[in-house]
Amino acid sequence: MPRTIAIVEDEPLIRANYVEALGRIGYEVRGYASRPEAETAFAQRMPELVIIDIGLGDEPEGGFELCRSLRVRSPTLPIIFLTARDSDFDVISGLRLGADDYLAKDVSFHQLAARISALFRRMDALRRPVESDSAIEQGPLRIESERMRISWAGQDVPLTVTEFWMVYTLARFPGHVKSRDQLMRDAQVVVDDATITSHIKRIRKKFVAIDPAFDAIDTVHGAGYRWRG
Amino acid sequence: MSLRLKLLIVALSTLVLPWMGWQLVRQTESLLRQGQEQALQASAEAIVKAIDALGVAAPVEGPVFPVFAASAPILVDGYTDDWSAWAADLQPIGPGEQARARVALAEDRAWLYVLLDVRDGTRSRVDARDRRVWTSDHVLLELERGGERSRYPLASAAPGEFDAPADPPLRELPERIVGQWQEDGSSYRIEFRLPRAVLPDRLAFSLYDAAEPVRADPPLRRLLRYDEDAARALARLAPERMRARLATPEGWLVADSGGLGAEADEAEPDEEGWFGGLIYRGMIAPALTGTRALDGVSARLAGAEVAAAATGRPLLSWRPGERPGEVVLAAAVPRRAGGRVTGVLLLEQASRALPLLANRALTELAVASAIALAVAAGVLVSFGALLSFRIRRLRNAAEQAVGSGGRWTGPLPLADAGDELGDLARSFGKLLHEVDAYTGYLRTLASKLSHELNTPLAIVKSSLDNLDQQPLGDGARAYLARARDGAERLGTIVRAMSESHRIERAIASADAEDFDLAALVAGCAEGYRALAGTRAIRLRLPDGPVPFHGAPELIAQALDKLFDNARSFTPEGGWIELRLARERDGVVLTVANSGPLLPAALQDRLFDTLVSVRERSARGSGEAPHLGLGLYVVRLVADLHRGRAVAHDRAERDGVEFVLHLVGMPRRRLADVH
Repeated sequence: MPRTIAIVEDEPLIRANYVEALGRIGYEVRGYASRPEAETAFAQRMPELVIIDIGLGDEPEGGFELCRSLRVRSPTLPIIFLTARDSDFDVISGLRLGADDYLAKDVSFHQLAARISALFRRMDALRRPVESDSAIEQGPLRIESERMRISWAGQDVPLTVTEFWMVYTLARFPGHVKSRDQLMRDAQVVVDDATITSHIKRIRKKFVAIDPAFDAIDTVHGAGYRWRG
Repeated sequence: MSLRLKLLIVALSTLVLPWMGWQLVRQTESLLRQGQEQALQASAEAIVKAIDALGVAAPVEGPVFPVFAASAPILVDGYTDDWSAWAADLQPIGPGEQARARVALAEDRAWLYVLLDVRDGTRSRVDARDRRVWTSDHVLLELERGGERSRYPLASAAPGEFDAPADPPLRELPERIVGQWQEDGSSYRIEFRLPRAVLPDRLAFSLYDAAEPVRADPPLRRLLRYDEDAARALARLAPERMRARLATPEGWLVADSGGLGAEADEAEPDEEGWFGGLIYRGMIAPALTGTRALDGVSARLAGAEVAAAATGRPLLSWRPGERPGEVVLAAAVPRRAGGRVTGVLLLEQASRALPLLANRALTELAVASAIALAVAAGVLVSFGALLSFRIRRLRNAAEQAVGSGGRWTGPLPLADAGDELGDLARSFGKLLHEVDAYTGYLRTLASKLSHELNTPLAIVKSSLDNLDQQPLGDGARAYLARARDGAERLGTIVRAMSESHRIERAIASADAEDFDLAALVAGCAEGYRALAGTRAIRLRLPDGPVPFHGAPELIAQALDKLFDNARSFTPEGGWIELRLARERDGVVLTVANSGPLLPAALQDRLFDTLVSVRERSARGSGEAPHLGLGLYVVRLVADLHRGRAVAHDRAERDGVEFVLHLVGMPRRRLADVH
């Protein structure tokens, strides 16, 4: 039975494109044009993954509203925000609401598909018992790559998919400098340097929230970043 | 020309005040003078009439020889020592050649002395009694007494005594004249005396020079003596402190009386001081055109005044007095008898009152108008200074507002002033407001546009992604690839357009930290080496770490922009230099590169938003577009670190320099952190 994905997007052409493309991969995709329409449908049946545009028709922040109500109903439902607005403010707001990732609308279909399948994989992994051998441990850092879970000193760090991939890339080879291009490639995003910088900044903040003494991510100016092993 | 200078020039127009005052003083003074002149002329004419009424004899008419009164005995020796008092008053005996011989006459109680001085370089000497005397050098003396005439050839064969016989001898006249003859290389002198008992009525001299044998026949002249009666009469008639002199029409003094005493009540001659004296000399003295020759005592009154009076026309003149600060008014009036001018009365009055009066008024006026001028100029200049200060304040505020990229930082100064400057400030404010709105619109246009473009771009991209999955021919795949390439490029452009917006947000949320700026620059330079290609990267750092408080990410980003900019302008094989130096209150970060110089027109605006100096041809097909945001980002970063960014050509003119002066972000107080 194919997995069900809901796309809430007010722009019919984009919606149609995504519905068709994801359907081609083998998902069962439904598209909704507005928040009320989507909520009505979700009341009937919850999809397994939701892709939401932040601005929905005449509700500029309708996506956030929808995300909030979905999160109330299902804490584990993977939610991906998709928007034309790629400013940091939107990112932070979206993540505080509990979105699993956040992508600009010009993301390539390939990158979107990678995230969807990663999120599905994570859901599957969470259902299975923990396989300790798939985890990487470095000091206080513990990475469970299957579950896409990272913990620091025993505490979960709430990272998005993109952020997880970045930390994973850095932490796998401590001491190696990873350029921004490498990080982008591994995190399956195409963004500019400034956005990478703000990603790193956010990752640091999330670690610091757990451990104020955290300084494992090192900036190598002009080159990139490195995980201090 | 600055406003202050202009106002100063305007203030100079108040100089017209003292000028007007000066004119007034001059007019007053000239009126006073006229009054004085009229009074003096009137009294001169009254004196003349009184003299006539008193029956003072008119001086002899016709040609005369003046006779001086000898106060000391005169020795007849042929030398002029005794005559030195009258040396200037020797009279030519006649016109033309005859003027070579000059004569002076003097008398005491018993004798009439005669001195003849003849300039003659060629001498032919014979004695007076020699028969050849008529064809040799001699002076012929002709005497007339009681209608009879006799001639005496005055000649001598040698210096010394001579003896001239009368021709013809007459009873009334001496039968011979004995005198002294002396000579030197160019002249000879004849001196003799006649007893007053046989004084001639008239006499004449004529010179005969053997070298130029022309015999002259001069008219006989009367003797003119100083008239004591007339002098006494004058003394009675002349007012006090005036000098009256009576002369013949030729100017020979007949009688005089009085003197030029200063007015008694003007006892303080130095009162006017140097200032008054200066004004007197500079302004009043030029009007003094009288003849100084009338000063002092002389036997003959030479001067235009006497000459004019001799023709029957009274003349007045002013001349400086003998004492400083004194002027003398002279009035010459003719004395008439039967339609002929028989003499001239010269009446003179010295006065200090007039110049002093003028000076005092002038001084007071000068001081008053100097004060008025200073006050007026001071008021005008301070008004001008205030005005230009206000204008400058407005200008500076306007320039600052424009200089900060049209960002309006608050109300302009003077905006609530009620005058025209207030109007100007308000219009400036309006203008700046519009400029601000406009630049604000421009600044956000790119990011707004990029937001708007994102959705259609997403449609295109997702459509292309879908198309990729469709069965397509090879030709169609090629077009698909091109369309994808175009969409990618469009995506890059859209991202670049929103960059400054993102940077502004990043700056707004930037957190300051302490770090080593030298390490940052070194790290960046390492990273740039890979990108520089054939261009050499030079790095110059100060010794030791450079601790800095700021946002390292943003500084690195600014450095990236500068490097990016430098790289695109540096020719292959050129160099790029990164230089860090400590400054008094911060650091200087310089990115210099070889390459073309900056266009002069844009030097000040390089760091503004949406300004790009790149030519279109400089852009490769694959390069990101230049929207003029890169250096704007640099400026934002510099602003954040309380610094500034400047760009200029290198002193060597082989490239350009972009210089960041950074001070550091302000340290937050602990209270702000929490």
